[in-house]
Amino acid sequence: MAAGVRRHQTLFVVVALAVLIFSVVGAHRALQAAEAPRRGGVLLAVIGADPPSLDPHQESTFANIQLVAPLYSTLLQIDPYSYPKIIGDVATEWTISPDGLTYAFKIRQGVRFHDGSPLTAADVKATYDKIVFPPEGVLSIRKNAYTAVERIEAPDPSRVVFKLKFPSASLLNNLASPWNVIYPKRYLDRDPNYFKTNVMGSGPFKLKAYTRGATFEGVRNPDYVVRDRPYLDGYKFFISPETSVRAAAIRSGRAHIEFRDLPNAEVEAIKKQLGDKIMVQTTPMTGQFGIAINSTAKPFTDVRVRKALTLGLDRYTAGKVLYGITGLKLVGGLMRPGSEWALPDAELQKLPGFWKDAEKSRAEARRLLAEAGYPNGFKAVLKNRNVKLPYQDFAVFAIQEWRKIGVEVENRPLETAAWFNDGQNTGNFELIVAPTVEYMDDPDQFLGRYVTGSTQNWGRYSDPGLDDLFARQARALDHAERDKLIREIQKVVLENAYYMPGLWWMRNVVHWAKVKNYVAPPSHYTNQKLQDVWLAGD
Amino acid sequence: MRTYVVTRLLLIVPTLLGVASLVFVIMRVIPGDVTLLILGGDQAGRIDASQIAALKHRLGIDQPLLTQFGTWLWGVLRFDFGTSLWSGRPVVEELLIRLPLSLELALAATIVSVLIAIPFGMLAAVRQDTWVDYLVRVISIGGLAIPSFWVGILVILFLVIFFGWGPPLEFTPPWVDPWANFQQMVWPIVTVGYRYAAVTTRMTRSSVLEVLREDYIRTAWAKGLRERAIVIRHALKNAMLPVITLIGTEFAFLIGGLVVTETVFTLNGVGRFVVDAVAHRDYPVVQALVFLIALGFVIVNLLVDLTYAWFDPRIRYR
Repeated sequence: MAAGVRRHQTLFVVVALAVLIFSVVGAHRALQAAEAPRRGGVLLAVIGADPPSLDPHQESTFANIQLVAPLYSTLLQIDPYSYPKIIGDVATEWTISPDGLTYAFKIRQGVRFHDGSPLTAADVKATYDKIVFPPEGVLSIRKNAYTAVERIEAPDPSRVVFKLKFPSASLLNNLASPWNVIYPKRYLDRDPNYFKTNVMGSGPFKLKAYTRGATFEGVRNPDYVVRDRPYLDGYKFFISPETSVRAAAIRSGRAHIEFRDLPNAEVEAIKKQLGDKIMVQTTPMTGQFGIAINSTAKPFTDVRVRKALTLGLDRYTAGKVLYGITGLKLVGGLMRPGSEWALPDAELQKLPGFWKDAEKSRAEARRLLAEAGYPNGFKAVLKNRNVKLPYQDFAVFAIQEWRKIGVEVENRPLETAAWFNDGQNTGNFELIVAPTVEYMDDPDQFLGRYVTGSTQNWGRYSDPGLDDLFARQARALDHAERDKLIREIQKVVLENAYYMPGLWWMRNVVHWAKVKNYVAPPSHYTNQKLQDVWLAGD
Repeated sequence: MRTYVVTRLLLIVPTLLGVASLVFVIMRVIPGDVTLLILGGDQAGRIDASQIAALKHRLGIDQPLLTQFGTWLWGVLRFDFGTSLWSGRPVVEELLIRLPLSLELALAATIVSVLIAIPFGMLAAVRQDTWVDYLVRVISIGGLAIPSFWVGILVILFLVIFFGWGPPLEFTPPWVDPWANFQQMVWPIVTVGYRYAAVTTRMTRSSVLEVLREDYIRTAWAKGLRERAIVIRHALKNAMLPVITLIGTEFAFLIGGLVVTETVFTLNGVGRFVVDAVAHRDYPVVQALVFLIALGFVIVNLLVDLTYAWFDPRIRYR
């Protein structure tokens, strides 16, 4: 009897252990299966606009880069999983000479363009020659970022060397630009504008079709240099300028993702309806909405008037009011709050327009206006782009704030072309809404616009001291020294109210949970190659 | 009749020439420069004068205005409307991508509208000041008062919220996949058709009411004809002239005038194409589209005029 009980006990223990082991192994395998990338499927995305052209070298809109980035390779790239780390794309490794004047890159072997031709150092050189030293009639909107570059050499098919005139602290960041896609040399030689309407890349996807106003499609590149990538069979963007339509497309499952941004109200409605089927990645964005002041137009030639206007903006309340409807939220200086180069709050809050006490700021604004000869305020026109989100809402808030210090400002929305023309080209404005959006938190990118003569310097001010600070920071290879100079630049701009930063944007990337391996970076220009993205089963 | 048709056809020439000249001038005097738009992108800058000049030369817009106009007109005579300044593709090719969708929407919305408007307009007139009349009037005034795009957004939200379903985002021609086409097109057709039907119902009702008070209708009643015969054979046919005119004008409008509805339902139609082209200062596209839409209006008007004789045999064309 006792022996029988023991036998049963032993049998029970053995069975229990077996069940336990099989359960653990099974669960592990199931977990592995659940996490293992799945091949196939077409990623469906919605986007708010058509690209002005297909050439990223000549464009600066998400509507270009989100569509074409999967078709191309770049020399370097921002790590899709670890912003802002720089990693190679067609470059496998690189060295920097001790004097910081020579950057040598080794080019990955086996990369092929979609027509089957190999990508070599000559193509990288031709691409960067077009960007840094554009031939006549070819636009290179980023050449100013490479003023340090003296020449580019391709001593052999697997090596590219950048020779610099002076050290450049931002060069690697600039070479990781998502816009600097590598073009085949022979196409560039034939027509440097070929890529405005055509695509010939070496990326994980090939162009399948583009119908303006409707769809943009890419199909898997079977010869892509990274083995077993991409996971997707293709991707397809549906183009719709209407935010509610894009949100409805996500809600109905007609689209899997909206890469740029959806307003909070839409995001909440989607979350409420779809629960854990949906994921929202909210990140602070490398973009800021502010106002340029024409320093050549009276009364804005007077620093007291400019200061009064920036003091009149209660940014802390603006962040609370505007976030829900526009995504504008964070108060910061000229570099993104929380980023490596941002002014610490303690320093920022000493500067005009960033004091925590709004009433004290308004009192000081009124005092400055009276001192400048405008005790009863004055009237002005704020030119703006006729785009609702967030341009109009932001302007409406600013205008009602300025009314509290006696300044009556009229919001004048303009069509994009006229807005550019008045703001950038002719300086035909008093105040104008002028956002700054870049692909990463790089000081050269964000602060270059405050330099004398920069075409991004819409306010048209000239401060030799500021120019000198900018030039020094661009060359400063020592991080601490550069940080000090960057803080100084921000203080000079903000104390003189050369420009009025408004609020920094928060980005809501909404996607179905079955979209895997996509990490939303702070910029809607980067991590768009879709090389590692995959779709889980329903 | 033949003389009338030939005269009307000949009149198309100065009409279109006038339209072409007007659009050509308007596109060049409104603020904004296509070269800046092309070079400037969304937030770009750093454009210098030589780049602008080079692009103007490449696009051929550095020529004197008269030369540009002449070149364009010569192209039109050969049915060559030029090349889009933005896409670099021939305008006709771009238009042919969008025309089937716009034609389908316009035709189907017209059919929906006619099928709703004429019976209900007639019924409301015949049953004037009864609950039937009031109901038809309320529904038709609703159609006039509520913008189509708003109805469209409500339709989409209703489908998405209550059924978790939304219409396809991409146009599939009916000859490729009729079911996919139906799923996408039925909603804008109903939305546009409702507004269109509202206008036409009102017009049908007023027109039938007017005719019902005519002497010959009274005579018909006196002769002891049945109501159906009086209303359909005598009243409706004679009341159709203004209704037909309205249907013709609305149909021509629908080809290029449904910008917002097309946006709401992600339809890549002619309306959005026109607006997009204006925003981008794509001169050849705008000129071609306005020219062709004007041509459509003129032809539809001519056809409407020619149908008058069928409805009213007293009409003579001279």
